[in-house]
Amino acid sequence: MWKHILFIWVAVSCLLPVAADEDTGEFMWSLRTPMHVEPPALTSLQHSARVHNPIDQFVLRRMEDAGLEPAPEAERLTLIRRAYFDLLGLPPTPEQVDLFLTDKSEDAWPRLIDSLLASQHYGERWGRHWLDVARYADSGGYETDIYYRNAWRYRDYVVNSFNNDKPFDIFVQEQIAGDELWPDNLDLDPRQVYIVSKEKQRHLEARIGTGFYALGPRIHESALDAKRLAYETLTDWADTTASAFMGLTLACARCHDHKFDPFTQHDYFSLQAIFADARELELPLWNSMGEADWRQNYPRVVAVQEAREACRLFDAEMQGNPLSPEQQARKQQLLAAIGQAVLNLPTATAGQETIPYDGLMHIPTASVLGREHPALIKPVHLLDRGELHKPQDHAQAALPASLAAATKTSLELPAPYGARKQFALWLTGKDHPLTGRVIVNRIWHWHFGRGIVETPNDFGNMGQSPSHPDLLDWLTTEFVRDGWKVKNLHRLIMNSSVYRQSSQFGPERNLAVDFDNRLLWRMNRRRIEAESLWDNVHSSAGTINLAMGGSPVVPPLAADEIASLRDKWHWVVSADPAQHTRRGIYILVRRNFKFPMFEVFDTPVTSQSCPVRDVTTVAPQALWGLNNRSVFRQAMHMAGRVIKEAGDDRTAQIVRAWRIALGRPPSDEELMSANKLLDDLEQSSPTPLKELPDSLKSAPPARAQALSKLCLALFNLSEFAFID
Amino acid sequence: MTIFPNRRDFVLHGGSGFGALALGDLLTAESRGAEKRSRNPLAPRPPHFPGTAKNVIFLFMQGGPSHLETFDHKPALRKYDGQLLPESLRDFDLAQINTADAKVMAPQFSFRKYGDSGQEISSLFPRLSEHADRLTIIRSMYHDLFIHGSAMILMHSGTRLLGHPSVGAWVTYGLGCESDNLPSYIAMTDSVFRNGASMYTSGFLPAVYQGTAMRAEGVPIQNLQRDADLTGGEQRLLLDQINAWNRNHRETRPADSRLDARISNYELAFRMQTAAPELIDLSGETQATRELYGVDDGPSAQFGKMCLMSRRMVERGVRYVQLISSDWDAHGDCKGNHEVQARKIDQPIAGLITDLKQRGLLDSTLLVWIGEFGRTPIRQGSNGRDHHPYGFSAWMAGGGISGGTTIGSTDDFGFNAVEDKVHVNDLHATMLGLLGIDHAELSYYFEGRDHRLTDVGGMNNLAARLVRS
Repeated sequence: MWKHILFIWVAVSCLLPVAADEDTGEFMWSLRTPMHVEPPALTSLQHSARVHNPIDQFVLRRMEDAGLEPAPEAERLTLIRRAYFDLLGLPPTPEQVDLFLTDKSEDAWPRLIDSLLASQHYGERWGRHWLDVARYADSGGYETDIYYRNAWRYRDYVVNSFNNDKPFDIFVQEQIAGDELWPDNLDLDPRQVYIVSKEKQRHLEARIGTGFYALGPRIHESALDAKRLAYETLTDWADTTASAFMGLTLACARCHDHKFDPFTQHDYFSLQAIFADARELELPLWNSMGEADWRQNYPRVVAVQEAREACRLFDAEMQGNPLSPEQQARKQQLLAAIGQAVLNLPTATAGQETIPYDGLMHIPTASVLGREHPALIKPVHLLDRGELHKPQDHAQAALPASLAAATKTSLELPAPYGARKQFALWLTGKDHPLTGRVIVNRIWHWHFGRGIVETPNDFGNMGQSPSHPDLLDWLTTEFVRDGWKVKNLHRLIMNSSVYRQSSQFGPERNLAVDFDNRLLWRMNRRRIEAESLWDNVHSSAGTINLAMGGSPVVPPLAADEIASLRDKWHWVVSADPAQHTRRGIYILVRRNFKFPMFEVFDTPVTSQSCPVRDVTTVAPQALWGLNNRSVFRQAMHMAGRVIKEAGDDRTAQIVRAWRIALGRPPSDEELMSANKLLDDLEQSSPTPLKELPDSLKSAPPARAQALSKLCLALFNLSEFAFID
Repeated sequence: MTIFPNRRDFVLHGGSGFGALALGDLLTAESRGAEKRSRNPLAPRPPHFPGTAKNVIFLFMQGGPSHLETFDHKPALRKYDGQLLPESLRDFDLAQINTADAKVMAPQFSFRKYGDSGQEISSLFPRLSEHADRLTIIRSMYHDLFIHGSAMILMHSGTRLLGHPSVGAWVTYGLGCESDNLPSYIAMTDSVFRNGASMYTSGFLPAVYQGTAMRAEGVPIQNLQRDADLTGGEQRLLLDQINAWNRNHRETRPADSRLDARISNYELAFRMQTAAPELIDLSGETQATRELYGVDDGPSAQFGKMCLMSRRMVERGVRYVQLISSDWDAHGDCKGNHEVQARKIDQPIAGLITDLKQRGLLDSTLLVWIGEFGRTPIRQGSNGRDHHPYGFSAWMAGGGISGGTTIGSTDDFGFNAVEDKVHVNDLHATMLGLLGIDHAELSYYFEGRDHRLTDVGGMNNLAARLVRS
């Protein structure tokens, strides 16, 4: 009976998308202002001795209420691997492990976290998380998969933002409206300003954040279907904005009023209209040029853009009508002017004239948002069923009505210009019900493998409700009060005893009550992501190149891996072999052709914001580990490293190999079986290895090949790919 | 195959295969685990109702074959050759030419009626015509995308946008996998995949449902070949040791099925190293069979091999086979292009139908032939035709359908589908229907709503009409 009532209640509440409960006047949970809830009292907790910070109080409360036993703290070895992979996406070296294991001081753990947060590699790891949300890719997808030569500047901007602990509200503002919020970055023309101040340079950097909008999926099959292209661009911008920053899936409201959440089709097109006055453009980057180059390049790049704009204005004026001979001539003039402006681009840098360069390709620019010319702004219409050929009313830039009401704000936004600015400021207001909750939940998700809300891009009625609503609100209010500092949030989470629990724990009762571990009675074991696995293999081999930033790198592929690529020039291997072992985040992300190893290990679909990566376990992953030539090559490098670091003694070599790959020495049983395996392999002794790295050349051939194969086995262990 | 995705994702997404979780399940997150615990996302699942087909071979003609040169005979085009289209057809968007000023072009091939059913087919397909009584020709396909990229995505995933699962992924999601050694969904092309993996993607479905791109030559699946520096014996030695260590690792880690799945995947990978090359190895096929598919005849050799391999896949339990014949994009010379193209596929496809029939597999194997669109009735350049999505043709055979029938028609100019119109969503609904799947029920919750292969369409589901009574 009780179940039936509940069932009906849920069914009804799902069917009626109301922002506010009519009886109580209350908004749907995610639209209510987060409350600073007091953590449950220590004295009320059975396991109060486990409490390190308020997170534990919230989590233990629910756990104890459900009659669950918390897992004991994980071993220190487990903890250091967990922390390294979590914060850096890299394994600790055996020496780093030793340092931590022998550090008996009280604050060894918090100091470890601090040191990892100070590492430049932290930004690469956590920036990559954000890139999933930002549907990051270096190309447009669809048939032509056009290359975005500047997408990487946005990637580096994200990495730097995390490394600099940029307050998250600023991070959001920069991405949505960096140009409108700090308009002095528009004023860089050396004919008008003599010196670019430090502040202005910072604002210019911030504007690269709007690259968020310039790297979405895009059909670039000439200008065949311009109307549809424009519509689909706005659709991408509106949908990604809602998913990434607001944790809302508004996409369904494109075709009809949202069935489950309080959003109408009108709200949806008003959101699209916020972006109607924006356009993508190439911004010459003062910061990446010397001053001499800036003086030389900037006006000429702007001249190209102005020439192009003149042509677009002319086209808009003609509205596709047949041209008179005079108009034909005018059009020819305008096209010639573009050509001339391009030809005027410098062909050598002013700073170092000996370096030849192609002005068009090499002038550093970033793809960013700017203002569309007033005459070229196209009105946004509400579309019947979302169909382009059924335009209805003109849509004005506005906040979604239910959200405006929930935040007690007027829904109107200025237009043209200024709507993005106002929208970004509203979104990052300190009482905004979504922005803080959504990012706090994402960060929790990235730490634990599951969010407090399991659907980080859907805080609506069809998303999962929070497992620990009080905790989410407490964390959110703390986070905002602390100035939106992400690194402090990491500290708070990782210093809790919840985070430090063992994953190797599974009493019958806990499993029976909460098999999914929603109540966090143990740590979730996690398969490391594709990029981390790549980094782990190369770190173990000692070949990883930790250089940061810059254009995407393109590692070589085997014939069977490249076979399915249509245009081989879409995968032009980086000329410098040192680039082939860069960290995974720097590998070219093509929408139409994923790096094959990444595809097998579940890097996200880049067509839309990805809140949660799939974690599949499939046979092609095993085939990669066993048979891929690049993995075997890394195994040989690792064998060379082992011999170099451990000397000729076989036992010492095995121990070293274990410590490099798994962070721990082998057990007696493992030592014995590894010895036996080496015996067998040394005796099988086939033809000598091909492509032997230098480090293995002086080793006895039988040992070199046996040890390489042992290292290959280590790369294939579950323990290598899973973090406890 | 014993493959598990992250169990949590699986539970979260309602891996039951069909439809959303019951609302009751959503109530208490804590209780959900127990019920779904043991399910393998690729385990074979019963259909919604008994279907007539068990397997699908999807023959995709990439580039857009002309309906007017193949299956849709329009004598009016001869009559009006060189003239403008009627006024009513002059305001349609096309990719490269203009309906307002391009001139009608007569069909480039003659048509004849074949078989007892008298199906009209052009002279391009002499072999296939012999099966006229087995074909159901749809002359009223339509949609509104005239660019290859988005039209191909529509044809494969039911929507024009990237990121949605392909038909084969939906079918695998719905019915599971029947082979122990091979993937359930295999895609092959005679060239390369335009649009990349979006032609066989699992989109927002868990990645276990992704198609496997298999090659007809050399190493059929990525990383399938043992490294040259490793002997077979050594690989086995390594594998046994890896498994032993992984089992020890597993023992101290309770309740984590991914670790079991990982161990069994290493064995599956080992078996695939034998099974996949065996699949594409045609040396065991008789000379008669090779001739049937035109495997040794220059123009048809490549597609012939692919068709023969697809029969071998169906025999081995592969659920969904997708074969792509590329280069049908006849902007310049429709006649010349289609002559070359038809020679590549006519014998192979006819041979496939014959072979499936004589092995008793045709009744359970559905063949679907289609391009991303047809071609314009009006001329492009000297002798070409532009992309045309507003009316074009497809055919189906096998899979329990009666054949010898025609569905729908276009107007006199072959421009618009006018009668019994079949949208891509309708075609997909029909395919699912023949497999025993209700297209409106097969759904997956993602980004705020339940998605279907057929989106909000699929109303004109032909399945019931096509099945032999």
